[in-house]
Amino acid sequence: MFFLQVKATLGISSVLILGTLGMFFMAITLVSIVVFHQRRVIRFNKQIQKMEEEKQQMLLRASIQFQEEERQRIAADLHDDAGPLLATARLYLNENLIHQETAVQLQSIFSAKQIIDDSIQLIRNISHSLMPPTLKNFGLEAAIKDLFEKINGSGVINASARFHDNRQRLNDEQELLVFRILQELVTNIIKHSSAGFIHLTQNAQGNIVYFRIHHDGKGILQQDFEKMEHNSAGLGLKNIQSRIRVLKGKIFFEIDNTHTYYKVTIEVPREPVK
Amino acid sequence: MFFLLFKRNKKDKALRVVLFYILYCIINEFTNFYLQSIHSSFVISLFSIFTVVEYSFFCYFLIFALPKDLFKKLVFFTWAGFLLFALIDYLFLSHSQEFDSFTSGIESIIVISFCVYYLFSQIRLSNNLLIYSTFNFWVVITFLIYFSGTFFLYLMTESMRENVAFQKQYFIINISFNILKNILLCVAMTMKLNHAVNQQKPAIPELDDDLFIQTNTNQQN
Repeated sequence: MFFLQVKATLGISSVLILGTLGMFFMAITLVSIVVFHQRRVIRFNKQIQKMEEEKQQMLLRASIQFQEEERQRIAADLHDDAGPLLATARLYLNENLIHQETAVQLQSIFSAKQIIDDSIQLIRNISHSLMPPTLKNFGLEAAIKDLFEKINGSGVINASARFHDNRQRLNDEQELLVFRILQELVTNIIKHSSAGFIHLTQNAQGNIVYFRIHHDGKGILQQDFEKMEHNSAGLGLKNIQSRIRVLKGKIFFEIDNTHTYYKVTIEVPREPVK
Repeated sequence: MFFLLFKRNKKDKALRVVLFYILYCIINEFTNFYLQSIHSSFVISLFSIFTVVEYSFFCYFLIFALPKDLFKKLVFFTWAGFLLFALIDYLFLSHSQEFDSFTSGIESIIVISFCVYYLFSQIRLSNNLLIYSTFNFWVVITFLIYFSGTFFLYLMTESMRENVAFQKQYFIINISFNILKNILLCVAMTMKLNHAVNQQKPAIPELDDDLFIQTNTNQQN
């Protein structure tokens, strides 16, 4: 600064005007850079936000569609199975009013009872498909083992599960969501992968609970999952993703190093029991 | 406008600082004009006082404008250091008889540095509010442009004070940047005024429920 003060005597106008203009344009340039950069960042953020909203919208639509399909299935079950059964039971009971013979009456009452028993079983099955009683009464481990036993009973695929650390269970809501995710994954494996076995492993580390499904069939990888998530198809996968979001968890689709087994890993943070 | 803004935003401390700064600038201009007309030697001291007070206003504004506590402490310590330096310069270096070019130069460098820091701290904030729609941004760029523009001018004033050509240039540059400063501060005030007006609007638009009910009732009939 002292240097400038001394040298300025040589050409006051040029030093002063050039210096002032230089500083002024530097300030203007700086402000412009900040403003343009910020505009660009905002535009980028808005784009991301829009994409996120679209994704949420898609997940919501998928969830609604899934609900509708579930309702239609229940309606079809009730209409096609329970409806005719109850109508038949009514017919048998009507016969009692027409035929006065005791033997015929007893026969029709017995038939009506059998049909009502079938109807009860049918309604129980529908109810169990909505909320598995094992899950409600005994927890996730029992429900998964129950599900796998049923799968094993079909003889098509060998299913096994091992829970390493289930001393501290997830809360009821989380268990139901995890059960639905695992159920969907297992259904997909049975339907599409032509696998010979499914093995589920559970473990916990700190506050995170891990579930991993191994199978030897044809599986998908993380990029396939992300791609299918954006497609209009893949309703089941969208439901998995929306449930994972509710759980605030993560899901990874991988293949092992030998390229023999596909694995799906789910990470679920524990929430306090309500 | 001053009283309107002051009345509407009594709790907004950053705005109050800027309003008082403007008021101080006006008073200073009139005092300066008066002292020059009577050829008083106090004019030089008035410039020195103005430098210190102006910097104090700027620091006080920054304390309200910046979010980080650590940086606020730095602003406070630089203010204290600058005050001490200005006092030493006034009493011992320039002996209260010379224009405070050196103090002004230091002031400009510190103010420009703080403004640059503020702007870059705003870049790092990832909110979706446009930076130029805020009051603080306009005040900061006012100071940045004003101090950048007058940096060389004030720096050379002491050594060139007697030069007639320089005096003309001093007058033009000083007036130009003062006008620019006032325009930019007006824009800042407008931002605050718009904000105050927008805040008064209700969040939910008024719905003409009676009309809606009436139309539906008529349709049913």
